[in-house]
Amino acid sequence: MSIARTGDAGLGRLGQGQRVQRRHRVVRKKVVPWLFALPTLAINLVVILGPSISAGYYSLTEWSGVGAAEFVGLDNYRRLFTEDRSFHRAFLNNVIYLIIFLTLPMVMSLVAASLLAPIRRASMVYRIGLFIPYVLPSVITAFIWTSLMDPGRGLGSQLARIGIPWFDQPFLGRSSTALPSIAFIDNWHWWGFLMVLFLAGMQGIPADLYEAARIDGASRWQEFRDVTLPGIRPTIVFMILMTSIGAFLVFDYIWILTQGGPAGASEVLATLVFKAAFNNFEAGYAAAIGLVMSLLAGAIISVFVFLRRRGWEI
Amino acid sequence: MSTHWRTVRRSLAAGLVASAIMASPTLPAIGALGTTAQDEGKAEIELWFDTTGGAETAECIVANVVDPFNEGSDSTVVNATMQANGWQATRTALAGGGGPDIVTTPGPSWAIELANAGQLLPLGAYAEELGWGERFVPWALSLGEVNGELYSLPTEQETMVLYYNKTLFDERGWELPATLDELTALSQEIADAGVIPFAHGNQEWRPANHWYLGEFLNQAAGPQKVHDFLTGAAQLTDPEFVAAVDLLTQYQQNGWFMGGLESYYTTTTDEMHATFGDGGAAMLIEGTWFLSDAPSFFGEEAGNTNEWGWVPVPSASGEPTFDLGIGSTYSINPASANPDAAAEFLDYLFSAEAQGRLLAECASAPAPIDLDDSAMAGIDPRQADIIQQLNAAAEAGNYGYLMWTFFAPKVDSFLTENVERVWAGEMTSQELLAEAQAIHDEEVADGKVPPIPQRGA
Repeated sequence: MSIARTGDAGLGRLGQGQRVQRRHRVVRKKVVPWLFALPTLAINLVVILGPSISAGYYSLTEWSGVGAAEFVGLDNYRRLFTEDRSFHRAFLNNVIYLIIFLTLPMVMSLVAASLLAPIRRASMVYRIGLFIPYVLPSVITAFIWTSLMDPGRGLGSQLARIGIPWFDQPFLGRSSTALPSIAFIDNWHWWGFLMVLFLAGMQGIPADLYEAARIDGASRWQEFRDVTLPGIRPTIVFMILMTSIGAFLVFDYIWILTQGGPAGASEVLATLVFKAAFNNFEAGYAAAIGLVMSLLAGAIISVFVFLRRRGWEI
Repeated sequence: MSTHWRTVRRSLAAGLVASAIMASPTLPAIGALGTTAQDEGKAEIELWFDTTGGAETAECIVANVVDPFNEGSDSTVVNATMQANGWQATRTALAGGGGPDIVTTPGPSWAIELANAGQLLPLGAYAEELGWGERFVPWALSLGEVNGELYSLPTEQETMVLYYNKTLFDERGWELPATLDELTALSQEIADAGVIPFAHGNQEWRPANHWYLGEFLNQAAGPQKVHDFLTGAAQLTDPEFVAAVDLLTQYQQNGWFMGGLESYYTTTTDEMHATFGDGGAAMLIEGTWFLSDAPSFFGEEAGNTNEWGWVPVPSASGEPTFDLGIGSTYSINPASANPDAAAEFLDYLFSAEAQGRLLAECASAPAPIDLDDSAMAGIDPRQADIIQQLNAAAEAGNYGYLMWTFFAPKVDSFLTENVERVWAGEMTSQELLAEAQAIHDEEVADGKVPPIPQRGA
């Protein structure tokens, strides 16, 4: 009995020890990670969730940005969707910007990456050369291109002097060309970054896949289509996601180069937010536009998440 | 020297100056004046200020106003900080319950917003004690009132004039215009001669649109009509205003502003001034702030032998009319721990002594206070002439209304942005003005239009 009692006691101690161990394991696995994440979460709560909630509230008010806000319900959204032609135009410009950025830099960077991938000699020089625009501040890039595109003293006028016409036009001063010109400048800064990412993705594709394709008699195009593209699909899809979000949030290049002009031709949602909040004292209305921008970005991310859950390898 | 190379040189110089300032150990002298041992025990107040003249003007203001005040005051020391985009920084700081002791805004309409939100200290008691009512010209001080209480003091009295390249005019024998009809005929004559009539551009400063729009509204429709609109006795959709916008549109579409709309939108401020100085363009409608820049584009410093002159912007009637405006306002933060010290500095800043020095040393437009002729000693006689004629017109109450001072911010912003759509043919003048009138009516209902002084006051 004593043995049994001892045994029971031993089992009890063992059970207690296991429980303690289990508790420690739970704490280690479930609690400790949260403790590590807590500072970041706390910061995010303060600087993201808090302002997001307050922006949501202010979007339902008439507020000048200073002083008290007057609750007006959904009036800002009614005005946004039914009255404000500037909003409609800016939204359309964001869509155009999105289309440009989902095509031009994607194609350019894919082509450049596939051409650079096999190069070994001086490959770093090419890569750095194409990547440098990405690390330039947008103000510098905008200043460079404003000077280059100046119709009177820029590159175009120099070309015109040696008999190459057409380029000496006020691209940023013309309604029909202002937005594409800004997109061109922004793309000049962006596509090198895309190219480097695609290049890194391509270098992760096993060489024997290419070898097998060649043995099967695949052409360069078939290699690209059937080996390279599937190999870097996650990178492509991720960059499509990032580009789409970026196209709806673009502000700096447009503000520096045209401030949305001429005649609203390059106005986008972000410049509209700035003007509403700081020029017109309509911070409540600006919050409504900002929230719509966030919802657009959220919708794009939702599509991405949905496709992943459906089993897409992205 | 060509316009191109001078512009490049100025850009490089600006870059070098900016780099030097960034790297300079003397930056704190501008960024924030440090207190010294002799300042111990004094009340410290913060001043954030912004200038269109950049670092050089900022240094000049500190050297000619802040430093002398700090040396002369027994009780107060001012820490002056140059803030690029100062208005945005100030507004954000105020919303957070902080900000400098002295609050500057871009104009009376902005000060009204802050006053209505309880973010400015009433200044009536200080004005009475320190005699500001007698010092400022009446029309200007009343702009700082909200519901009968004074909240802001106006600085930089501004007007728009027609500058012309005198050398070019003399060479070509062009007559100076007095009426808008004469200005239109002259512009055609200048364009026919292969010269750009007006050196204008808004690439760097999009709101430049309201310089011209405001001038055409006042000079074509007349200041009385603009006054009537601001006080509710007239509508922006009245034919006089529509005709004024149509006339400006005609000037733009004729290519008289910098050779065409596309050039107008891509011309920087330096380029337009250089084109004017070099004689590539004959005239320039701009504010009195151009006076501090003029020596850089005319004469020895600019590498040419040209001279500039000025006349009032021609009006429909031919009677000279100066449109008045205020560059910025000064107020006291209600959260200031030392409001009396802030008032002491404001009293000094708006003294004839300090304003005279700013005018003479920094070529800054003086505040709308009574300055005697001695303040004009040593400044360019053309600048003195503008100030004296402007003061005389203001005293007689015969003045027009610059948009950024007298229009509600939202109306000003709407017109400034959307007049480009009229120039592009996307909307008519009537449509533009009808929408602006609707916004104005809302702003009046919300009490966001500055008090409009009586004409003749």
